[in-house]
Amino acid sequence: MSKRMRINRSAIAGSVMVLPYLVLLLLFGIAPIVIAFVTSLQPSMVTPNGGFENYIYSVTEFRFWPAVINVLTFLGIYLPAMMIVVVGISLLLDNIKPKLNLPLRLSYIVPAALTGSLSVLIWYIMLEPSLSPYRDLLHGLGLTESGQIWRTGNLAFIFVMMAFFTGAGNWIVVQYGSLQSIPDDILEAAKIDGASQTQIAFRIKLPLISKYLVYMAVLVFAAGLQIFVEPQLISGSVFPGLAADWSLNQLSYTFAFASNNLSSAAALSILLLVFCAIAAVFVVFKTDFFEKPKKRLK
Amino acid sequence: MSSTLELKKSKIQNMTRLKKFKFSSIIVGLILISYSVFSVVPMIWLIIAPSKNAEQLVNFAPMAFGSWDGYINAWNNLMTFEEGVLVTWIGNSLWYNALIVLISSLTALLGGYALASTDVPFKRSLLITTLIAMIIPSVALVLPLFIEVGAAGMFDTPWAVILPSSFYPFGVFLAYIHFSTSIPKDVYEAAKIDGAGEFTTFTKIAFPLSKGLLGMLAFFAFSAAWTNYFLPYVLLSSSSNYTLPVGLGLLFSSTPSLNPLNGAQSSVIGRPEIALAGLMVAIPILIVFLASSRLLVRGILAGAVKS
Repeated sequence: MSKRMRINRSAIAGSVMVLPYLVLLLLFGIAPIVIAFVTSLQPSMVTPNGGFENYIYSVTEFRFWPAVINVLTFLGIYLPAMMIVVVGISLLLDNIKPKLNLPLRLSYIVPAALTGSLSVLIWYIMLEPSLSPYRDLLHGLGLTESGQIWRTGNLAFIFVMMAFFTGAGNWIVVQYGSLQSIPDDILEAAKIDGASQTQIAFRIKLPLISKYLVYMAVLVFAAGLQIFVEPQLISGSVFPGLAADWSLNQLSYTFAFASNNLSSAAALSILLLVFCAIAAVFVVFKTDFFEKPKKRLK
Repeated sequence: MSSTLELKKSKIQNMTRLKKFKFSSIIVGLILISYSVFSVVPMIWLIIAPSKNAEQLVNFAPMAFGSWDGYINAWNNLMTFEEGVLVTWIGNSLWYNALIVLISSLTALLGGYALASTDVPFKRSLLITTLIAMIIPSVALVLPLFIEVGAAGMFDTPWAVILPSSFYPFGVFLAYIHFSTSIPKDVYEAAKIDGAGEFTTFTKIAFPLSKGLLGMLAFFAFSAAWTNYFLPYVLLSSSSNYTLPVGLGLLFSSTPSLNPLNGAQSSVIGRPEIALAGLMVAIPILIVFLASSRLLVRGILAGAVKS
């Protein structure tokens, strides 16, 4: 059989195999973006001229900049907290034999089961002084009523706690995994050269897993930028209005469903998408994270 | 020769280990265990909570157990909400998720294989698009999807949730990494020289070597879809189509359980009932987590982690 014929057959087989995924990618990955972009240029009741007026409307709307500040405050606490705790715990775990720390790792991913609406329920309980398992601690801090906790100024911290609690465990497992991938001989060599555990952690381990850390930082940033569920449910059901239009995604939701201005809603979500896409392109092209992986088996 | 070297190495290791053991190990252990306690406390609370009635939740110690009848009472009370719609939500969550896991894992498996080991055209562009799609959070596409699904007349149907949730670029990436790293290229080459086509190579060689991968694909697809709130919340409007997490949101926004000003004051849906509904969301995912612990031990980024 000639080589060319085999290549063609392989191309056809590959195309058939990739087709179902390609259909989903086009329909639910690319089409929504195209449709949202077209929608973002159409006129609405509020923006009769359409076009870029929708974008201008979104960013000059009186709730836009407060939402930007909220989300930036949230990210400013969330991102460093995630990075420091996840890296710290993973490094500590890495000092313990894998079999011994297995129960710990399992316990760390338990909170990942408590996301979305459930995380709102859980944190309502945790922060309700009459119900909380941390009742004594809260009382000790002088917090006896939920009204002392659920205040506008505390919201960013509360949302950070919610997002951190559900997200950190999985990332610890990931980063622990990447630490495990460091070849033993490198660590042995450092030990024989007399490096301390701290030196090994900061001078050898962290630099070697830095690309996974960058990857994590970008993913955490992109997800944090899109925060929606927590403020929406808190102000929609538990404490009415407390966090209304708190985040950018909520504002986009309000434009679409409360202000009947789908065009500006689409414009705002396109803006948010652009930021996430820039972050994604950065990871793909500016780090070597996605270089074709080397063979694992010899 | 090499064994004496190994021996020396392990001796040095043991010595340093002994020296460091005492003080720092205790502190490390304490930190790790406290974080572990912090991680499991809410789950334990949630498991115990429905055993108590509303007064006991406040009066008993937070982690004290009430009685088994508490669960039955809470369940019976939940059944009064919209004529037992909770059962419909559980059913919906189960079948939506079964389809999502099936479609997304299969398409990812095939797509990842095609990208890793066939001469599929536009390979590089497909791969880059997949990577970008994988990093963009799915939440970012919810509003655009709402516009699309509305235009397609699928709004408030199960398919509005099932099909978009089956788009699984992360799965394609996992499968791609798996097929390009853990199965040696020589194996494929040998099969092809023996005259096997791509499909035969896939079904006879690649697929049987991919049980771990399939488990991982199903695991991530399930854990993302089961807890998803935003997408079904926006794309479904009648409560008979809701999934459990959206239903849970409806429960606490339409009953006085968390906010006394909500809903009818006479509602029997209180905190124990809400906790039981929350438990319904949490338990399946917790079981899946624990059952997949072997996968998680091997690390989530398959290709990057040695086995």
